[in-house]
Amino acid sequence: MSEQQPYEPKIVAFLCKWCSSAGSDLAGVSRIQYPANATPITVPCSGSMSPMYILSAFNKGADGVLVSGCHIGDCHYMEGNFLARRKLHLVKELLQFIGVEENRFRMSWVSAAEGAKYAQVVKDFVEDLRPLGSQEKLKAQRT
Amino acid sequence: MINIQDIRDTARDLLAKGEVRAVIGWRAGSRGMPAEPVVITAPEQADELVWDPTCYHNLALHLVEDRKFLAHARKTAGAPIGIIAKGCDARAIVVLMQENYFKREDVYIIGVSCEGSGMIAEWKVARQLDGAVPTAAAFAGDEFAFATAAGEKRLPAREVMADRCLECRNPFPKEHNVALGEDKTGRALEAPFAALARFETRSEGERWEFWQRQFDRCIRCFACRSVCPMCYCEECVVDSINIAVAPETTAEEKANRIRWIERSAVKSENITYHMTRAIHLAGRCVDCGECERVCPVNIPLRLLNNKMEREARERFGYEPGASIGGPSLVASFRDDDPGAFIR
Repeated sequence: MSEQQPYEPKIVAFLCKWCSSAGSDLAGVSRIQYPANATPITVPCSGSMSPMYILSAFNKGADGVLVSGCHIGDCHYMEGNFLARRKLHLVKELLQFIGVEENRFRMSWVSAAEGAKYAQVVKDFVEDLRPLGSQEKLKAQRT
Repeated sequence: MINIQDIRDTARDLLAKGEVRAVIGWRAGSRGMPAEPVVITAPEQADELVWDPTCYHNLALHLVEDRKFLAHARKTAGAPIGIIAKGCDARAIVVLMQENYFKREDVYIIGVSCEGSGMIAEWKVARQLDGAVPTAAAFAGDEFAFATAAGEKRLPAREVMADRCLECRNPFPKEHNVALGEDKTGRALEAPFAALARFETRSEGERWEFWQRQFDRCIRCFACRSVCPMCYCEECVVDSINIAVAPETTAEEKANRIRWIERSAVKSENITYHMTRAIHLAGRCVDCGECERVCPVNIPLRLLNNKMEREARERFGYEPGASIGGPSLVASFRDDDPGAFIR
């Protein structure tokens, strides 16, 4: 067979329906070049993120998880991203506490007008993930 | 020092007057010690009650069981249920009421203060007594008195107290109908979160090395879940039965149900289970330490819960079990919550 493919980190990106999803869309229609490592999953609001989604993504082999929502004050549901900020802060701390690398989990605020920012966030995330190699700590051991 | 007779008299009076339908407390265990939880329903049973350094069970758990029993039997409570509660038990009851699990008037809290003392950790006692089997334990000022076959042995309380009690700041049940013992709120025999602070000096790699070894041992007996008064959900996310099966549910739907966590006791699933539990307990765990005590493979679960508790305290100024009417940790926010980690 052919030679080994270079390692490409797999990112699961949970994007809020109202801002970040539209932001990623804008990055696309603006023809901005950015790595194709992120698999977007649209969620109704960053506040609807259950910590289970993040743990489950890692469990199923994601190398990094990105959660992105509207800027503070811009939430479609008024306060969803405030709740997300608090809840996901706890998840981030817990992941670091048990020794998962800090750069595996990331959060960002990307508005519908910030296609360029979304591209930059993904680009930075991929760059930060590459040296870490594939994520084996939380990945399910299927025997 | 609390006189046990005061506790018995209080319970007897309440039962005799019919103010409560039962009292949850502790009685002597079958070999004398440790004490075991008991529900008494008649005034004459009040003499069974004990109060000693082995009353470590969090009795709030039995309030939850009572509530579930009533719900399943489709009965109304009638008179409130009495409960003897230490500082940590009372905080657990407050969290349950904050979550509207039951109402304040459904519970009559007989608060007992641990004062300057606390509950024993059995493994510490066993180590100190060199194999002698104690049959009774009693508070004795700064010491605990153990009755053994070779006569009474006294051990300094600090040497044999559970870690959670050493770090406890609120040994007095703030929420109570009647309280016995001195209010020593604010005491801490050891700095709060001392074990956590010690652990956090380790590097990322060492932390992972530590936790993966711990989680690898987990046999998924769910003792931590069973003993926790906060784990009252009728359906738990880790049970793979989380699907309402109706006659019209198709085989495909059953096969494709979401399984967040597999039941097999492998490391990755154990980690997900314990992480999920820690997150679900964030802002609710009152650090009664029961999960760690009952763990058959000695996983230091308090570390995880302490981490969440300290995060809530330091970043969000949140204290679990502080007020019945207040908002919960993850259902509230402040404008100045930390957000620097977000890009």
